Amino acid sequence: MTAHVDVDRRTLGGARRRIGPFGLWIGFLLLVMAVAFGTWIYQVSNGLGVTNLRNTVMWGQYILFFMFFVGLSAGGLIVASSGRLFGATRFSPIVRLAVVEATVAVMLAAIFLFPDIGRPERLWHIFRYPNLTSPMVWDFTIVAAYFALSAAYVWLYTRADLAAAGSPLALGTADTPESRARDDRWKGILAWIALPAAVLLHSITAWIFGLQISRGFWYTAIMAPMFVASALVSGLALVILLALVVRRFGRLHFDDGLVSYLGALLAVFISVEAFFVLSEALTAAYPGAPFEGDPIARMLTGQFAPLFWFEVIVGLFVPFVLLARRSWRASPRVVAVAAGIAIIGIYVHRLNLVLNGLAISPIGLPPGVSVGTVQDGSSFAMSNWYVPSLVEWIIVAGVLAFGALVFTFAARWLPLQPRQH
Amino acid sequence: MPERRSPVDLLSPVSRAYGELEPPSEHPRWGMVVDTERCIGCWSCGVICKSENNVPLGMWWNRILTEGDGLDVPTSEHGHPEMSWTPLACQHCDNAPCTKVCPVQATYIREDGVVMMDNTRCIGCRYCMIACPYGVRTFNWGAPDRPNGLETGMVEARPVGTVEKCTFCVHRLEEGQVPSCVWSCPAGARIFGDLNDPDSRVSRLIRDRSGEMLLEEKGTLPKVRYLPARRRQEL
Repeated sequence: MTAHVDVDRRTLGGARRRIGPFGLWIGFLLLVMAVAFGTWIYQVSNGLGVTNLRNTVMWGQYILFFMFFVGLSAGGLIVASSGRLFGATRFSPIVRLAVVEATVAVMLAAIFLFPDIGRPERLWHIFRYPNLTSPMVWDFTIVAAYFALSAAYVWLYTRADLAAAGSPLALGTADTPESRARDDRWKGILAWIALPAAVLLHSITAWIFGLQISRGFWYTAIMAPMFVASALVSGLALVILLALVVRRFGRLHFDDGLVSYLGALLAVFISVEAFFVLSEALTAAYPGAPFEGDPIARMLTGQFAPLFWFEVIVGLFVPFVLLARRSWRASPRVVAVAAGIAIIGIYVHRLNLVLNGLAISPIGLPPGVSVGTVQDGSSFAMSNWYVPSLVEWIIVAGVLAFGALVFTFAARWLPLQPRQH
Repeated sequence: MPERRSPVDLLSPVSRAYGELEPPSEHPRWGMVVDTERCIGCWSCGVICKSENNVPLGMWWNRILTEGDGLDVPTSEHGHPEMSWTPLACQHCDNAPCTKVCPVQATYIREDGVVMMDNTRCIGCRYCMIACPYGVRTFNWGAPDRPNGLETGMVEARPVGTVEKCTFCVHRLEEGQVPSCVWSCPAGARIFGDLNDPDSRVSRLIRDRSGEMLLEEKGTLPKVRYLPARRRQEL
């Protein structure tokens, strides 16, 4: 644990001004962010044509990461509010980390909207001319509300300890028994708002897709429940991974029993997700009748089969098996591996959802849909396979780096470990 | 429209008379009929649409789909080769999914039923393109590419990063002229008029020859109707 040394060296300035691993890490993140920001400027000045999106597959990497991070933000508030509502006190050592995770994740989700839209300087139009029948407007509202809730949680959980430590982050508040009691009351109130808000956040994000009758693959009532389930899987998995990382750096202490307990909970979430995936695939495939260019056939045996079976086997089955055995999940390493591949599985699940939903136009007659740009051959396409361009990857990396930066600072300067009284 | 002179003014009286709208009712609701029996798949409507509406290369508001497996490839039924087409542009739906999902009301339905775009408001989220089952909307992915760099037609170019589509040539409706695609069809396969007037040609054709809606099961209630062919399409 060599990294230990650096992180614990709080008084970094002064005596020795050598750049340690922490400085290198921050420098690396800033570099990635700078490159990505430049790339985004390039994208804004040239138009979204620098991505591999076209009229055929008009939503891709950015929307995918938006959904993915909305899902990842689930972990925090579930851990925080179910601890309150259902008396799951075992969570308490990681509650603060979880709410920080939720805040950062939902913030990243919102940031991913900027590169996605063609005219980011007009984003404020959503507040100026909101169309109340648009699921995107509902989603905007709930993302903003969820961010405010998560940030409020972070404040309520860390304020008193920050004040006690004399940190300026306490914004001049004092650590008194009365103020702690007041924080505690607010935590109780917020728990009642946060849990339904979390469910709504994932449902509304699902409804952006699930309410569209034009896309047969998406137009299913299972979309919202499945989004909630997949959000629970990826959100909890990320909390587990981050908790283990932060523990390794000595900023958080909890025993392996908690990791094992979280692993068991993750196994339950994975099985719920697997149940929805099975239910959806069976319902669509059983009649054996092709519909809408048959997205289910594409998913089970066709073009998208590798993604689907990766999701099922690597993303759901393997982590479930790893976590189902008590003796296996006793090892934090095993839980970490299971959590890691479960997150990748959910990413692939969302990738499959977006790509397969858009793969074929509802009117499948030649020459197809106008592509929107000049290219070799036809300016029409019947179907499209989409692979993100380098520009898209760099911008995604930049947003991820920003998230890592914020989380690193939070892990370093916020009291993630409750103080013992 | 004082600054730009309409080319309609420059047309010969005969041409102008050919493109004149039937006198509409007091509150017109514009609609179009496409007679698939008459369509010969020549793409005239698609091409004139591009020049009329200043549509850059790579983008089409109006396209002509071939029934079957390939562009202009005949299908075979009981050994008889057959060929027919479905010209497709914005269907100007009464229950338009695009206007429902647009977060900023940049696409909306006018009083006269025309589904319009406000390209000064559009944020470029492309949700309308997701919602539209007809694939008739196109996004401005970059700086417009035009042959010789010249702009054409009577409509302002749309800014990069916004969505555009067929407008039923609203600028021509204002001048009492039918949309360009209707005017230019050499087979007379497109008929335009007021759906609110039960005696207009479009209303009568829809009634008499049971004008069909494309993807009727999606419930979008298009104001473009397709007349099925009454005879076999034998070659």
